[in-house]
Amino acid sequence: MADEAKKKEILEKLKNSVIQYDEDTCKEAANEAVEAGMDGNEAIFDGLVAGMEEVGRLFEAQEYFVPEILMCADALYAGLDILKPHCRQMDLGVKGAVVIGTVEGDVHDIGKNLVKMMFDVSGFTIYDLGRDVPLDKFVEEQLKTDSELVCLSAMMTTSMVGMPKVIEKIKAKNPDCMIMIGGAPTSKELADKWGADGYAEDASNALKEAIKMVSFLKKLRDEKASKQK
Amino acid sequence: MNSRERVLKLFKKEPIDRVPCFSGMGNITEEGIKKLGYKFAGIHLDAKMMADTAASTYKLFGFECGVVPVDLCVEAEAMGCVINVYPHAEGILYPTIKEKLIHKEDEMDIRLPADLASRGRVPLLKEAISLLKKDIGNDVAIGSYVLGPFTLAGQIMELNDLLKLSFKKADKVAKLLDLMADAIIIVAKEYEKAGTDYITVREMGATSDVLSPRVFKSLILPPLRKIIKEISAFSVLHICGKTNDIVPFMAEAGPTAISVEQKNDVTETRKKLGKDALIFGNYDAYNVLVAGDESLVRTTVKKCIDDGVSAVWPGCDIWPTVPPQNMIAMLDETKKYGGKQ
Repeated sequence: MADEAKKKEILEKLKNSVIQYDEDTCKEAANEAVEAGMDGNEAIFDGLVAGMEEVGRLFEAQEYFVPEILMCADALYAGLDILKPHCRQMDLGVKGAVVIGTVEGDVHDIGKNLVKMMFDVSGFTIYDLGRDVPLDKFVEEQLKTDSELVCLSAMMTTSMVGMPKVIEKIKAKNPDCMIMIGGAPTSKELADKWGADGYAEDASNALKEAIKMVSFLKKLRDEKASKQK
Repeated sequence: MNSRERVLKLFKKEPIDRVPCFSGMGNITEEGIKKLGYKFAGIHLDAKMMADTAASTYKLFGFECGVVPVDLCVEAEAMGCVINVYPHAEGILYPTIKEKLIHKEDEMDIRLPADLASRGRVPLLKEAISLLKKDIGNDVAIGSYVLGPFTLAGQIMELNDLLKLSFKKADKVAKLLDLMADAIIIVAKEYEKAGTDYITVREMGATSDVLSPRVFKSLILPPLRKIIKEISAFSVLHICGKTNDIVPFMAEAGPTAISVEQKNDVTETRKKLGKDALIFGNYDAYNVLVAGDESLVRTTVKKCIDDGVSAVWPGCDIWPTVPPQNMIAMLDETKKYGGKQ
């Protein structure tokens, strides 16, 4: 087992390399974490995700913009690829599968990919349908995979209006499925009106919402762990 | 004073009886398409159908302009991208780019086709502009739009890569944006030849929701300035999303008017740019005009005017399913309230 000081140092290094969008250092820190025998989940959540949380704050403070976030995401993935094989199987008390994609008529996928990243770090099974996805494909895929979460993204007002149809169809067939909508033209009002369970208006909010969901899952995990004790 | 005179006088900063209600962006309606017996998917490849549809918003509601194109893919298509018009879609799906020109960083060194002005749908658009002008050009001003350099670059290559490179390799991106500016100028000049009265440059990809004001100034402003300098019609520079920190740069680019959406605090923008600047937009084209009720449509007209806009101008394309009574209310309220300032 890694000693506490060393562990703390590695976590800091992981976190800072994400914030400073430094892929090489992130890989190095991830390898150190593996060598030190650290738990992969811990390195991911308290290192990489903690860094991404700070990136979210920097974006809100308008110190970072989308290019920086994308570079931070690259750094995170560089670390994640190394750490993932060293994770204990996570038992989050939920099955953890998500269908995600950008709706037909829209070819923008940056927001969608940032949300996907947060599901990636959480160990979700991800069915990424890509972009410009025909609406019925979301419904089919949800039914086929029995995923409990569907994320619909659109960056243009001109493509967003397809969302209520998907929501309605999925909810009719599977009322328990949670649906998150995201993209610049969406709003809380629209999410409510259309019967979606969550929304994120831009990449940073998508990131925040996804972080919130992941944090919620973390809490579930912690609660479960403390019950087991 | 008819609508055409009103809008042209506004652009010339001459006295007008009231603010006009018009747009430089898409404003076709399902109501118009239905009345004509057309299908949305059919109008992109037919100049007459496109012009008829564009004219219907004036004919049905008195909206004070006629605008083509309808979609955002004309420039990229002329440069060689493959577009998808979703020919079999039942509902409304705007064309998108199916195949990009640049797939990775080392493919960025491209050249413009020598016959750009006659490629893709540029000739079709020219025809649509002249048809539109013949049809309603005595009554209203005819507008067209082109994309901004960054938005166009985001169509011909992966936006994800473009954004990161604008940070990591700004020189390379600057070179590409300069080339985009050349392409946009060629298309804009064709539209001018066809008789368009004003051209809106839509640089929605360079909003402060995405790019820092610093990068906007260093990377986006130079090609924008180059484009606007070459446009001899009246010009409008439109950017969506957050724009309060970049409105001084937008004005610096030199357009006749700037256009913003509802995220812009127009009172503040008016203060920054002074009483003579032409500021359009701020009117929420979806949440108010399409999803709102008539009373919200009316109060928003008043609010925009009180906050200091120079025209009631939806801050984005009007989504075609706009309820007809909302269009009527927007025009009616502009006529009632627009002269009171």
